[in-house]
Amino acid sequence: MLKQPMIEVRNLYKSFGKLEVLRGVSLTVSRGEVVVIIGPSGSGKSTFLRCLNYLETPTSGQILLDGVEVDPKKNLRQVRQEMGMVFQNFNLFPHMKVLENVTLAPRKVLGIEPQEAERKARALLGKVGLADKADSFPDELSGGQRQRVAIARALAMEPQVMLFDEPTSALDPEMIGEVLDVMKQLAQEGRTMLVVTHEMGFAREVGDRVIFMDEGLIVEEGPPQEVFSHPKQARTQEFLSKIL
Amino acid sequence: MDFRWDLVWSSMPLLLEGTRLTVQLTAIAVFFGIIIGTVAGMTRLSRGPQRIVAAVYIDFIRGTPLLVQTFIVFYGIPGIIGRPIPAYWAAVLALSINSGAYVAEIVRAGIQSIDKGQTEAALSLGMTGSQIMRHIILPQAFLRIIPPLGNEFIALLKDSSLVSVIALEELVRKGQIIIGRTFRPFEVWLAVALIYLAMTFAVSRLVNFTEKRMKIHA
Ligand SMILES: Nc1ncnc2c1ncn2[C@@H]1O[C@H](COP(=O)(O)OP(=O)(O)OP(=O)(O)O)[C@@H](O)[C@H]1O
Ligand SMILES: [Mg+2]
Repeated sequence: MLKQPMIEVRNLYKSFGKLEVLRGVSLTVSRGEVVVIIGPSGSGKSTFLRCLNYLETPTSGQILLDGVEVDPKKNLRQVRQEMGMVFQNFNLFPHMKVLENVTLAPRKVLGIEPQEAERKARALLGKVGLADKADSFPDELSGGQRQRVAIARALAMEPQVMLFDEPTSALDPEMIGEVLDVMKQLAQEGRTMLVVTHEMGFAREVGDRVIFMDEGLIVEEGPPQEVFSHPKQARTQEFLSKIL
Repeated sequence: MDFRWDLVWSSMPLLLEGTRLTVQLTAIAVFFGIIIGTVAGMTRLSRGPQRIVAAVYIDFIRGTPLLVQTFIVFYGIPGIIGRPIPAYWAAVLALSINSGAYVAEIVRAGIQSIDKGQTEAALSLGMTGSQIMRHIILPQAFLRIIPPLGNEFIALLKDSSLVSVIALEELVRKGQIIIGRTFRPFEVWLAVALIYLAMTFAVSRLVNFTEKRMKIHA
């Protein structure tokens, strides 16, 4: 039996007014695969991730999640539950304690009993190393801690896919490691992940595949070693020479 | 100079009676103003034709004097419904409708001030629009709304003096009555002013206090 891809994107286009940001992106992601997306600023990496869970509505193209086409009229919220998202700026809910941040969606969206939601949330907070911060407010945490809470919050919905949009870009250098470690652990557990990042070390070590985007297109893709060591496209070479 | 402090004091009992009505009218108008304003402010931000109704209401009220609005309610509406409206209820109605429009703008600004990332995070978790409004946006907007809301209530407290024109014996009207008997406008108006000042000062302190208590995690 052929294994069904977790995500299949066919010919995705997205324009903001006259500005064409995605110009026909196609991508297949297998179950358990970790795909790292790199590319210069403005190349459409964030827009691509945000189209996957319809935070932006694609202009045209198809997205299939586990073989089912994403249709905002039919299964939008279902699809969003299946795709956890972690943002550059954390976007924690500042008026709620850490524990409530993690339990809110499971309770309200999945209808899980409060005690059960809390038990699961505490387990997840333990997993990201923040068991003792359950009763803190987000503004009492460091950036790295906030991002780990955000990861726990997304995981609480038990999504099939995790989307990360530059999860360490807003962090002080000494906090980047603790967030990447959590992501590494998720990858080892076999989670399907799409990660936009500038952390090339992470891409090399954890990524199954690296995708280089430029001007709204996938310019090059392949295993990290290959893309980093022997980039085929001139634009990839140029980009890598600037950041490595 | 012949300034009669004794008149300031002896006016107090009657003025405080009027003060009670002023406070009562303001409190009721504040209560309904918050309800009307929250609904109108949220409607103003919604999609669909009801948005226009909210916009017309808000613009009409903010673009016309409260005095005229009070006349419309007290003298105008009875002509349409065919029976008089008691001055008290006319005042409550006019003040509530008036305050609702200002509160609506405060609510709208408060909601719009919440970072878009909050909504996006909640959407990405699969929450619905109304869940996001209830659990994420409104609780945060509420904190930012408190200071301007406090200012609005101070304004309403002062503006409630306008309903003296429909013979409601609130603070200003009581002052006029006392002057009619004593012919000492300076002392009496000064006493009236001091009472307003005490009230607005108290409200603004209360708002500051609440703001400080709640600001911790915003
Ligand atoms: N909501 C929007 N309205 C208009 N233009 C937008 C919007 N969102 C993104 N863009 C534009 O689309 C282009 C791609 O943006 P995007 O954020 O996807 O790039 P990116 O690859 O994530 O860049 P970065 O590395 O800086 O995050 C940019 O030119 C950006 O200005
Ligand atoms: Mg981006």
